[in-house]
Amino acid sequence: MLKRTLHASICAISVVVAISPAYAETIRIAEHRQARIDALKTVVPDIEKKYGVTIEIVEYPAPEKDYLTKLLTELGAGNAPDIFTAPRGQDVSDMVAAGYLAPMGTEVKGWDGYGQLFDVAKKLVTEKDGEIHVLPAMLSVQEIYYRKDLLEKAGISTEQPKTWKDLLDRAKEIKQKTGAYGLLFPAGITWGGGAFGEGFQYLIAGTSTPQLANEDGTLNLTSQGVKDALGFYADLINNDLMPTQPLLGPEPWVIPKYEMFPAGKLLVTTCGSWCYIYDWGSESKNPIPDVTKVVGTWTMPGEEGGEHVMVDVESGWAVNARSTDPDLAKKIVLELGSLKADTAYASRVGNIPGRKDAANDPDFQKLTALVQVLAGVEKGTFLRSAAGFSAVSEGVARATDALVRKQTDAAGAQKILVDYVKETLGDETVK
Amino acid sequence: MAGKNAHEKRLGRQLLIILLPSMVLLLAFVIYPAIYSVYLSFTNEALTGVGAMNPHFVGTRNYERLFHDTAFLNSLMVTFLFVLGSAVIGQFALGLVSAIALKRQIRFRQVFSSLILLPNAAPEVVAGFMWISMLAGGEHATLSRIVQFFGISPADWLQTFPLSMIIIVNTWRGIATAMILLTAGLSTIPNEIYEAARMDGASPLQMFRRITLPLMMPTILLYMLISAVSTIAVFGLVYALTRGGPGGATELVSIYIYNQSFTAFQLGYGAAVAVIVLLISLALGVGYVKAMKVEI
Repeated sequence: MLKRTLHASICAISVVVAISPAYAETIRIAEHRQARIDALKTVVPDIEKKYGVTIEIVEYPAPEKDYLTKLLTELGAGNAPDIFTAPRGQDVSDMVAAGYLAPMGTEVKGWDGYGQLFDVAKKLVTEKDGEIHVLPAMLSVQEIYYRKDLLEKAGISTEQPKTWKDLLDRAKEIKQKTGAYGLLFPAGITWGGGAFGEGFQYLIAGTSTPQLANEDGTLNLTSQGVKDALGFYADLINNDLMPTQPLLGPEPWVIPKYEMFPAGKLLVTTCGSWCYIYDWGSESKNPIPDVTKVVGTWTMPGEEGGEHVMVDVESGWAVNARSTDPDLAKKIVLELGSLKADTAYASRVGNIPGRKDAANDPDFQKLTALVQVLAGVEKGTFLRSAAGFSAVSEGVARATDALVRKQTDAAGAQKILVDYVKETLGDETVK
Repeated sequence: MAGKNAHEKRLGRQLLIILLPSMVLLLAFVIYPAIYSVYLSFTNEALTGVGAMNPHFVGTRNYERLFHDTAFLNSLMVTFLFVLGSAVIGQFALGLVSAIALKRQIRFRQVFSSLILLPNAAPEVVAGFMWISMLAGGEHATLSRIVQFFGISPADWLQTFPLSMIIIVNTWRGIATAMILLTAGLSTIPNEIYEAARMDGASPLQMFRRITLPLMMPTILLYMLISAVSTIAVFGLVYALTRGGPGGATELVSIYIYNQSFTAFQLGYGAAVAVIVLLISLALGVGYVKAMKVEI
């Protein structure tokens, strides 16, 4: 009896092994947030058909911080999906240094969409040695967003602020005339990478030392520019121009961006193009009616003048260096950089396609809030990234957290940043 | 005699086989991770960056850093207050009252017993989210609506009284365990002693102070040990409630370890903190064993 059972089992296993090549290969793609998953699902059937592959979308936790934690833990353990996104440009260099990302320079430069990428998108992802590890399918274009309707109602100028002082004075005027908070710059530990990506980098790019990554790979954190940027935060906080209590809680963006800004209790904030769709659009938690009419944008003024728009890679697509089929995964990543995919993500999440030809796409043109933003992409500025930026991001979060809690001043905050990065990466990394 | 030795050897082998699965699990999920954490704590291993690709030995750098880290020292203080408030005072006091009350033949005794046991049925994170609906949301929170009924102003409870709130929530969750252990302790005290004390004219308070507490001391100390060590390790409940905020006000050392290891991605540093917590727990265990004068 036992022999018969054994023989039957062996036959069954042999049959399964024999026919298994007939099943399509499976490529796993990590994605988070329902809007992004919905966007991905619009292009998956076409990709599956084209390559005869099965695509499994692996749903990850929604907040970016939790997504990155889970992704990095799995990359470290060697069981991450084949394809995933690096949430922000500041995360990419460290993921490359960790050996998690497969190089894609040859594939991306040989791709027919490469010529359509904005120059700034190419610069953002091309490393010193010419290698590319992420596809800049989408970009974040960040400016200052303000409630035009409420400022005009209060008789406050909506002219472009020319310097940091102008911006601060405008915030004070808003507080004085309306009682609402005049300006929000993300800060604090619980905001995660946002304190750096949606706040600090706006400021540092407009100082006398606009770059943090030195040519030799060290980090320039002891400059006057860094101190001045943290000093701007201190001015906002000490003059009670930005809400601080929500910044100490979990998901600190919810109250200021999803509640206070629509309700007119906060009138100016940093944000990206996604805010028109994801934060305040018709399908958001607290939509602002006629959002493109009532919410205007300013570029970020420099400390002493000039202006800039921050551009960064937004969720750049990457291939797991330990993917079972990296060549196929790279082909699929290039498909995710198609116009159809870009427009699907833009319409649901609100980020900007990394390709110029999106401007002529009929589906993209329906996204009127984003069309004008796309036109200004090439004028954007960005911070050069380097290995160690994860520690810088965490250091900025800690430094601004201490400012929010009024435990220190600008110099003290800079010391917190420098000490944290030195303790984490070594004294030699900071110059 | 030879037969007896063979019998004992066979019994010994059988015992080993029975214990083997537990020993393997203990080794795999407790001993090995603890040893690996000690090793990690002397490296700069990280989840991203150069530390992920090429971690190397950094000596005692992580330990030197943590003794100057005000956030770590804050997390120790928060944990101490949390353990004191919820385990030592809250759960013990309410657990003892429940155990004594339910020892009597009162009406609906089974119902009360079930109600006290119910909080343990909910998983930590589910319980955390349930309490968020009670405490978060300012005037819309359930607790706010209740206190408004009594003329008290609503508040954002988790923002205004964060540590007190998590102590209350953990107390609620831990009363059942305390009650069960202390009930077991109470049942070891012979009724004849209470009868004799009543005949001698002792009041209920005197009987509690002179009979119940002293005779229950071994159980109480055992409960304190288990409760303190397990409360130090509480993570999911508080993380779901507050994520350690606002501003580190509820950042237990377990949450601090998680934040260092998986949010700041510094596994080596997180491991160093975990080793310190392990040493503190071991010290607590040794202290309690000495207090109980138990040979182990």
